[in-house]
Amino acid sequence: MLKVLRSLRSIALSWSGIATLLLAWWLNTRLGLFPPQVLAPPERVAAAFVAGVRSGDLARNLVASLSVLAAGYVIGATLGVAFGVAMARSRTIESYTSGLFHAIRQVPTIAFIPMLVLMFGIEATFKIVVVGKASFYPAALAAYTAVQGLPRRYFDVADVYRLSPLARLRHVILPASLPPVLTGLRLSLSRAWVALVAAELLVADRGIGQMMELGRQTFRLDVVLMGVVLIGAIGFLLDRGFKRVERLLVRGAPA
Amino acid sequence: MSRTRPEFEPITAGRSGALAIRAVGKTHHIDGQPLEVLRDVSLDIGPGEFVSIVGASGCGKSTLLRLIVGLDNDYQGEIRLDDRRILSTSLDRGIVFQDHRLFPWMTVEENVAVALDRRPLGREAKKKLVAESLALVNLSGFEGAYPHQLSGGMAQRAAIARALINEPKVLLLDEPFGALDALTRLKLQTELQALRRRNQGTMLMVTHDVEEALYLADRVVIMQGGPGRIARIVPVPFPHPRDRGSAAFARLKDEILAELMREPELGSAQVTILSQDRRR
Repeated sequence: MLKVLRSLRSIALSWSGIATLLLAWWLNTRLGLFPPQVLAPPERVAAAFVAGVRSGDLARNLVASLSVLAAGYVIGATLGVAFGVAMARSRTIESYTSGLFHAIRQVPTIAFIPMLVLMFGIEATFKIVVVGKASFYPAALAAYTAVQGLPRRYFDVADVYRLSPLARLRHVILPASLPPVLTGLRLSLSRAWVALVAAELLVADRGIGQMMELGRQTFRLDVVLMGVVLIGAIGFLLDRGFKRVERLLVRGAPA
Repeated sequence: MSRTRPEFEPITAGRSGALAIRAVGKTHHIDGQPLEVLRDVSLDIGPGEFVSIVGASGCGKSTLLRLIVGLDNDYQGEIRLDDRRILSTSLDRGIVFQDHRLFPWMTVEENVAVALDRRPLGREAKKKLVAESLALVNLSGFEGAYPHQLSGGMAQRAAIARALINEPKVLLLDEPFGALDALTRLKLQTELQALRRRNQGTMLMVTHDVEEALYLADRVVIMQGGPGRIARIVPVPFPHPRDRGSAAFARLKDEILAELMREPELGSAQVTILSQDRRR
């Protein structure tokens, strides 16, 4: 009973922030601090959402964005983990690549967009490259630090029982580095989502960012705001979903 | 709790387990500074003998065990097991560390089975060996538990099961009960003594609990620190099961404690470095 009350309380608390923001937004539009063309009232944004769902525009743009996200993320994160592990395990690879790796890391993904557009056009390929680049770095860094930071005492046990290299990888290295790598992959996913929306806002032929950009050009700020809410909601759900997966994959307790 | 012999040949069958430690010295290098942790340590341990090393923290006794188990072969002198020089780890030497070092992502059963990775046995045979090994340490029924679900004593029992599953010729114990509460420690000491009657292997235990050493060992080796060396070897003449309350037991304990107290205080540098060593 107490548990139910407590969880009800935490749900109420987490929604209260959103409710406050909604109220402030609604009050603002009622008081006319900003003209409704600039700050669209909540009901207009909701109407834009319904219209988007009815026309199928919204679904089309969402599918365009999310499929690009999935493709780019799988490629970028996989390469990132592989590269991070290789860099942690081999001093040679590390010394050859770490300079370049850390230099490119400092350049925001968006800075590559003008060049990438010229190379790949403005269609899916371009966006997949952007998403791939954005997902690569957090995944690579997490895999690198996870494998580097594996406690020596685990390897003592592996040495004492003379585990084969394969068993070492399967029974020690992978499970010990799984939790931090998963955290990195989660970060990767949210970075990828943000980079994708940013790319679509700048240049794209379709997608949720492009829908917002079109809204801005036609002065439909209700559509833009609807996009903002959707981006937040989708990002939030992706993160939550990933956390679920993490909990399923990590066995036992953290070391 | 009877243990049936496995139908296949144990890998250590027919070999004895005599340990010869000859003039062993070890120097750590910390930031380029040499630090001598062991100097001229020589000790012979007979097959099936139980020897306990006592000494203050930082006297190099844990380092010695790391050398014997084969985790570190950068030392002077030589260590032989049945006349074969120890150069690396081997399944004929098992070790129990002070922290259980079970893998947190594996169940008790899987943790024990890890030790069988190099044994050419079928799945069923391995399962049977694991079950036997867990029965030996009274952990039957906890096969599916994860280490974080176990008490300290149970986790250490699982670690002992893992160390014994290959029937090593020598079992090394590095302060195995040091992190346990007093009552659990007494229980596990009694269980270890019972295990020893069944297992014919040689045992070498490092501890700083003099009473524990006297309760279990045939001989107690007193080590002094800075650099670590053997100060004295005390035979323990009492038959098992030993009475911790007897006057003779108490006298011997006092004698060993007095010997340990005579040791000069360690420099703080050495204590820090050795505690770092243990953390690895």
